[in-house]
Amino acid sequence: MTGKGKSRWADSAEDAALEAQLKKEKEEKKRLKAEKARKAAEAEKKKREAEAAAAAQRRQQHQTGDDDDDANGPPAKRRRLSPDRDAPPPSQAASTASSSNDSSKLLRFEGGRFGKCRSVENYDKLNDIEEGAYGWVARAREIETGKVVALKRLKIDPKDRSGLPVTGLREIQILKDCSHRNIVKLKEVVVGDDTSKIENIFIVLEFLEHDLKSILEDMPEPFLASEVKTLLLQLCSGIAYLHSHYILHRDLKTSNLLLNNRGQLKIADFGMARYVPDPPPPKLTQLVVTLWYRAPELLLGAARYGPEIDMWSVGCIFGELLTREPLLQGKNEVDELTKIFELCGLPTDDSWPGFRRLPNARSLRLPSTTSSTSFSNPTTTALIRAKFPLLTTAGVSLLASLLSLNPAKRPTAHEMLDHEYFRQEPKPKHEAMFPTFPSKAGQERRRKRETPNAPQRNQKGNESGIVDFSSLAVGGIFGAGREREERGGGFSLRMV
Amino acid sequence: MSHMVNPLATPDQLYQRRSFSALPTELQDAIFFSTQCLTQAAGLLLQLPQSVTAQANVIIARYWLEEPMMSHEFSDISAASVYLTAKLSPYPRSPRDLALVYNYLLSPSSTFFQPLASASGDSPPPPPTNIPNDYYLPEHIYNSFHTRMLDCESRILYALSFNTHVSLPHPLAITYLQALDFLNTSKSTVSKRTLAYLNTALLSPQMLYLTSQPNALAVAAIYNAAKDVGAKMPECEWWEVFDVDREELGFLVVGMRSVDGWGRKMREDVERIKAETESGKRGGMIRRRDVEGELRRRGLSVGNGYAKGAGGTGAGSEEPVDMEAEMARRMDEKMAEIEGSAS
Ligand SMILES: Nc1ncnc2c1ncn2[C@@H]1O[C@H](COP(=O)(O)OP(=O)(O)OP(=O)(O)O)[C@@H](O)[C@H]1O
Ligand SMILES: [Mg+2]
Repeated sequence: MTGKGKSRWADSAEDAALEAQLKKEKEEKKRLKAEKARKAAEAEKKKREAEAAAAAQRRQQHQTGDDDDDANGPPAKRRRLSPDRDAPPPSQAASTASSSNDSSKLLRFEGGRFGKCRSVENYDKLNDIEEGAYGWVARAREIETGKVVALKRLKIDPKDRSGLPVTGLREIQILKDCSHRNIVKLKEVVVGDDTSKIENIFIVLEFLEHDLKSILEDMPEPFLASEVKTLLLQLCSGIAYLHSHYILHRDLKTSNLLLNNRGQLKIADFGMARYVPDPPPPKLTQLVVTLWYRAPELLLGAARYGPEIDMWSVGCIFGELLTREPLLQGKNEVDELTKIFELCGLPTDDSWPGFRRLPNARSLRLPSTTSSTSFSNPTTTALIRAKFPLLTTAGVSLLASLLSLNPAKRPTAHEMLDHEYFRQEPKPKHEAMFPTFPSKAGQERRRKRETPNAPQRNQKGNESGIVDFSSLAVGGIFGAGREREERGGGFSLRMV
Repeated sequence: MSHMVNPLATPDQLYQRRSFSALPTELQDAIFFSTQCLTQAAGLLLQLPQSVTAQANVIIARYWLEEPMMSHEFSDISAASVYLTAKLSPYPRSPRDLALVYNYLLSPSSTFFQPLASASGDSPPPPPTNIPNDYYLPEHIYNSFHTRMLDCESRILYALSFNTHVSLPHPLAITYLQALDFLNTSKSTVSKRTLAYLNTALLSPQMLYLTSQPNALAVAAIYNAAKDVGAKMPECEWWEVFDVDREELGFLVVGMRSVDGWGRKMREDVERIKAETESGKRGGMIRRRDVEGELRRRGLSVGNGYAKGAGGTGAGSEEPVDMEAEMARRMDEKMAEIEGSAS
C-alpha cells in the first residue's frame, strides 16, 4: 500500500528503514486482520452474542467508572483493558490484537460500530400510545426477544424539500450519545420494509408505563412531599448529565417525563434538544420550549441563552408536581409573560441587569426604575410563599430560585442536587416504595391533550444562522420594537 | 463535541469490501479518492469550515463500507453527505447552493481534476476556459439533482443506522501540540503540517479514519509533522501519554506518509479512465459511466459491478437478495439503454 519508492516526505535513510519495517509489521497485521475477518465471517452468528457481552461489559465498566455520574457512563464509552482480559469478542479483535503484549496501561476507546438499520417488521405493534397532530408513539414487542418497547415515528413531511428534518436527526444523535438512568434509552432506529425509499423511520425506545402529565391528570390526591422530592431529584440528575455534556433539552415539561412502575423517572422527547457549547453561540432560535414552560429570557427574545432555560422549566414542573396543574398557563406569549410577572414580580434593573436590552423588552412598558422603588415590588420568594402556603421554607427558596427572572440567578442542575430541600424531612421517598398507577400507555388509546405543543420549528432547518421571528410575527404579539410601540400595541404592564 | 470516539469499521466490513466487491480494487480506490477530493472542493466553494467537510468525508467512507459504490452516482453521494453534515452543523447550506456548486464542479469549465503534466512527458492541456453556459443550472436539472440528493441522504442515513456522529482528530491534535514542547521549532510550523497530514488522510482509500480513533490519528500526524520539520520530539514514548501504542502509531505513520504517492497515482488512474471513455474528455470528476466503460474494456461484466456489491455484512446481510435483484434489474435496463443507443 505504501507505493513504490520512498515517500516525498521521507527525508532520511533512517526514515526509509523505519518505514520498511513498519510496512512489514503492517502487512503482518493486515494478514492477521484478514484471518480474523474470515473467522468473523464464519462466526457471523456469534457476533450478536459478543455484542451483547461487550455491551454488558461496558455497562459494568460504567458502574466502576471514575466519572461522577456513578452508575452512568459518559456518552463517550471508554473501555479499560487489563492485561489479563479474557479473549475479546471478534468485533473488537482488531483494536485489541495490537495491544495484546504490552502497553496495558493505555486507554482503549470504544465507539461502537456502524451498519444498516433493521426493519420495523422485527416488531409487533401492540397499541397506540399517542397519536397527536404531529407525533405517533406506539407500544410494540420485539418479535425475537419478546421485549416491550416504544416506537416513535419520526415526523417527516414528504413535501418538505429539505430532506430529513434536522430536529429528528438531532434527537436520534443525542439519544444515541446519552447513557444515564434518568434519560430514556434509544435502542435502535428502524425503517419500513421498503428500503428503496426511506420514508418510515422509527426510533425504538425503552418502554415506560407512564408520563407524568397523564399521572397528574388522573391523580385524586397530589404527590406527597417525599414523592415530589424523588421525582425532582431524578429529573435534576438527568438534566445535570445533559448539561455537563453540553446538551440543552429545550422542551422540558411533564408530558415529556416518563415514569415506570418502579418509580423511575426518565427524560424523553429530545425533538428540540441540541448540543450547545459553553459559552453559547450568539444566535439560537427562541422558538423552543412549550409556552407554559418557557423562560422569560426566551419570551423576551434572547438569542443567546443556555442551560438556565431548562432550569426555568424545572421550576414550572416543580410547581405542577405540587398542585397537579401547570403553573403558568399563558394563552400567548404576552399572556405568558404577564402570568410570569404576576407570579414572580417585575424585573428591575437591579434584579436583572440588562433585561431591557433584550429585543422584545423594548415593546414592554414597565414602570421606570424610579417608580418601581416607590411602589412595593414584592420579592419572588414572598410571592411564591403566598402561592404555595404548604411548601417548606427550603422548598420555597428552591422554587423561587428556579423561577428567578434573571437566568444568572437560577441554580444549575448540579447546585440544585445539593439543595437543602432534599436533605430536610420528609426525606425523598425510595423509588421502590413509589405508588403504582394504572398505565394508560399500556392499555388504551390516549385522549387528546389540551396542553399546547412544542413550538413548530422553521422547517428550513436553519437555526443558528438566522434568527427566526416568524411565529412571533404571525401571532402578532411583539412587533419589531419601536414600530409596534408607535402603533400603540405591544406589552403594557403597570404596577398598582 | 462531548466525546472523542468514533464507531470503527469491523475487520470483516473492511475485508468484505476489498474481497467481495465486483469492482477491482484500484477502481474502488480511484472512485474513493476522486469523490473525497470532489467533496473537499465542494466544501471550499460552499465556504464550509473544514470540520464540516471532513465529517462529510468520513460519512462517505463509512457509507461505502455498507453499500456498493455503483449504486448511486458518486457526486450525488458526495453532495448528500455535505448537505447532511452541513445541515447538522451550525453552517447549513441550501439544496440550491449544493446544486450550483456541484453543477459547476462537474462542468467542463471547472478546473477540478484537470490533467496534470503526466509522467509520460506530454504537456498538460491548457486550463479550461470559463464558459458560464457550461454551468448554467436549468430548473429541471436542479430539481432532479435535488431529488437525487435527498434520496442519497436518506440512503446514507439508513446505511449508517442514522449514526451521523463523527469525531475529528484535528482539535485533539491542537490540544496535544500545546501539551508537547518542540523546543527548536515554532509551534505553528508543526501544527500546519500536522493538520495537512490529517486532511490528506481523509482522501485515502486506506480509510484510516475508519480504523483508528481520533487520538491515534492526531498523534501519528504530529509524529510525522515533527519528523518532517526536524522538530525535536520528547525522548520518551510520549505517544503513550495520549493512549496510543507503538504499533498503532507505526501503522498510522506509514499510512499517512504513503497518501501522497497514492494521490498522484490515483489522479493518473482517473485521468486515464476518463480519457478512454466515450466522453473522451481528459479531466474532471469520474462518473459511473466512466467506470462502466472501464469495466467493459477490461472484459469484466458490468452487471457484476452492481450485483455483487461491496460491504453488506452484519445487519446488511439480511437483505442482499432483494438488493441484488434490484441492482441486476436496473443494470439490465441500463445495458439495454446503452446497447440501444450504440446500434
Ligand atoms: N419510551 C416511551 N415509553 C412510553 N411512552 C412513551 C415513550 N416515549 C413517549 N411516550 C409517550 O408518547 C408521548 C409523546 O412522545 P414524545 O414526547 O417523545 O413525542 P412528541 O411529543 O410527539 O414529540 P415532539 O414534542 O417532538 O413533538 C409522551 O408524552 C408519552 O406519553
Ligand atoms: Mg412530547
